[in-house]
Amino acid sequence: MKLRKCLKHAFEMVLHSKIRSWLTILGIVIGVASVIAIMSISSGMQTVVSNQMGNLGGDILTLSAGASRGGNMFGPGGDRGGSGGASATNKTPELTRTDVQALKSLPDLKLIDTEIRGTVTISYLGKSGKVSLTGVDPAVWSKITTLTIAQGRMLDSADQNVVVIEGGLANNYFGKPVGINQMITISGSAFRVVGIVDDTGNGIYMPINMAYQEITDKTTGVYDSIVIKVKDESQLDATINKTTAKLIAVRHVTAKKPDFSLTSSKQMQATRSAMMSTMNNFLLAIAAVSLIVGAVGVANTMFTSVLEKTKEIGIMKAIGARNKDVLSIFLMNSALIGLVGGIIGIMFGIVLSGLLPVLMGETGMLRGGTLVSLNSVFLAIGVSVVIGILAGAIPAYRASKLKPVDALRYE
Amino acid sequence: MATKKTTAAQAGTVLLRFENVWKIYKMGEVEAPALKNITVKILKGDFVAIIGASGSGKSTMMNLIGCLDTPTKGKIFLKNQDISSLSESDLASLRGRTIGFIFQQYNLIPSITTFDNVLFPLEFLEYDDEEAQKRTRDILLKVGLGDKMYNRPTQLSGGQQQRVSIARSLVTNPEIILADEPTGALDSVTGREVLEMLHKLWKEEGKTIVMVTHDLNLAKYAHTTIELKDGEIQRISTND
Repeated sequence: MKLRKCLKHAFEMVLHSKIRSWLTILGIVIGVASVIAIMSISSGMQTVVSNQMGNLGGDILTLSAGASRGGNMFGPGGDRGGSGGASATNKTPELTRTDVQALKSLPDLKLIDTEIRGTVTISYLGKSGKVSLTGVDPAVWSKITTLTIAQGRMLDSADQNVVVIEGGLANNYFGKPVGINQMITISGSAFRVVGIVDDTGNGIYMPINMAYQEITDKTTGVYDSIVIKVKDESQLDATINKTTAKLIAVRHVTAKKPDFSLTSSKQMQATRSAMMSTMNNFLLAIAAVSLIVGAVGVANTMFTSVLEKTKEIGIMKAIGARNKDVLSIFLMNSALIGLVGGIIGIMFGIVLSGLLPVLMGETGMLRGGTLVSLNSVFLAIGVSVVIGILAGAIPAYRASKLKPVDALRYE
Repeated sequence: MATKKTTAAQAGTVLLRFENVWKIYKMGEVEAPALKNITVKILKGDFVAIIGASGSGKSTMMNLIGCLDTPTKGKIFLKNQDISSLSESDLASLRGRTIGFIFQQYNLIPSITTFDNVLFPLEFLEYDDEEAQKRTRDILLKVGLGDKMYNRPTQLSGGQQQRVSIARSLVTNPEIILADEPTGALDSVTGREVLEMLHKLWKEEGKTIVMVTHDLNLAKYAHTTIELKDGEIQRISTND
């Protein structure tokens, strides 16, 4: 029998047992929709991470207070309640001018930028909200950051009461765009916008001495992180070792119990990628379970269908159907169930991907939104058809091997 | 046409030959022979009735004639081809081309239309679409179901369903029409119509008809009667 005709009969089989077929299809739909939604979240997260990592070059090191456990995953922090500070007291470890001076003595380091971070209230044209503020060394930041300026200019060493803002804040945050030289109010003080960086975030950058006044819980001369640019990227590992040794000496700690973490952006990227990959695999495994349940549903339907159609198989064989004709019809039937389930699942998955950020809020995981890639769509269709075929293979094979005389006798 | 048929049968062109055929069913340790050492020939253009009581082996014989089953021992030759040497696939193709089945319970596929039921065998033989549809339409008109082509079997009477079954058996223009109790599920008037249709196919078109029945009255329509009892041939008679 021609494949076209097999497909026609397979389609008729799907149509003829509507409720059962649709219930089976629903199993595949749930599985595929889960996979699509999870893959889209994963893509969105990867976009966020790569954007974040893009802000730091390969020759950049970040020094944070507190020892890290297995790498510094999401910015400074680590074990802040760790093993005491430079003086072996119970104080929370801090980064201070002493550390900066020690770093400046190292010839392998090119630039050192001290930074603090916090959340501040910002107002513009009567609208206000909370955003992230980073205080940076205005003389160094422009040379060390990989952010690019879209409008205006970067901060420079003489700047006071000025800010550089990110593109998201400039264009979308207040409903009306914030332009260059316009004034915004941060915690009651007015600041002039001198630059807008090419970024979709809502962050603000200002000179660190001004930031100490706006972020109330920060102490002058204490930093959240120190960003370092090395002279020779090819010597990164050696530079890390030398810098670590110097900091251990200055902070009076041991290599076994450091109270700081020094990470390169490459390390951070690798750590984040590994963590994301683990999380993605975990989520995909959950989605895969739904798909497996769907596949079991297809197999169950196909076994029932073969049983129900045993007599028809006998009739088909009596009037000239070969084993491969029967096999093709039943395999196409299960592949069709997979395909229809896959297509509907993709549509649901896309809708779900769009709804997730709304339903879950702008959580860290969904900050980058979701992204349904064409690859995941094709993959989902392929996987659902293959699942349909695999689940239907054994029932279809059994159908094709039925002896016509036995099948005709079946009641 | 009648002359042509008689000539063929009388000339003794053998269409189907059983040589020492045994069919033994195993039920656990017990062996139950359904056919015992059957040797018989069916001539081209003959109308053969296989008769016998229940359990005589006539259904088993029909299954073997229709290549739906293979013998336990012995050989069956269809058009001089030993069917036990054929693969399942070749057997299916041979069935599709050579044999048309008419079943007691019609055995139509309920989910598709009359037209598609009749078209089905042609699809297995990979006929050209246009040719297949023309043949199907012609044959349905011939059996008087021109106005029921797009009805489903459940919307037809028993007699109409049997006519669809006859149309399906004829659409591939097979050499043998194998009818298993063709009137068993019909009232006497409709049954008579079906038998007359078979008789006409034999007389006018020279088809070889093999009819399995337990009704001795129906056997009167046949030219040759094979009487089975306990799996053995009791008697072969001709009605000239």
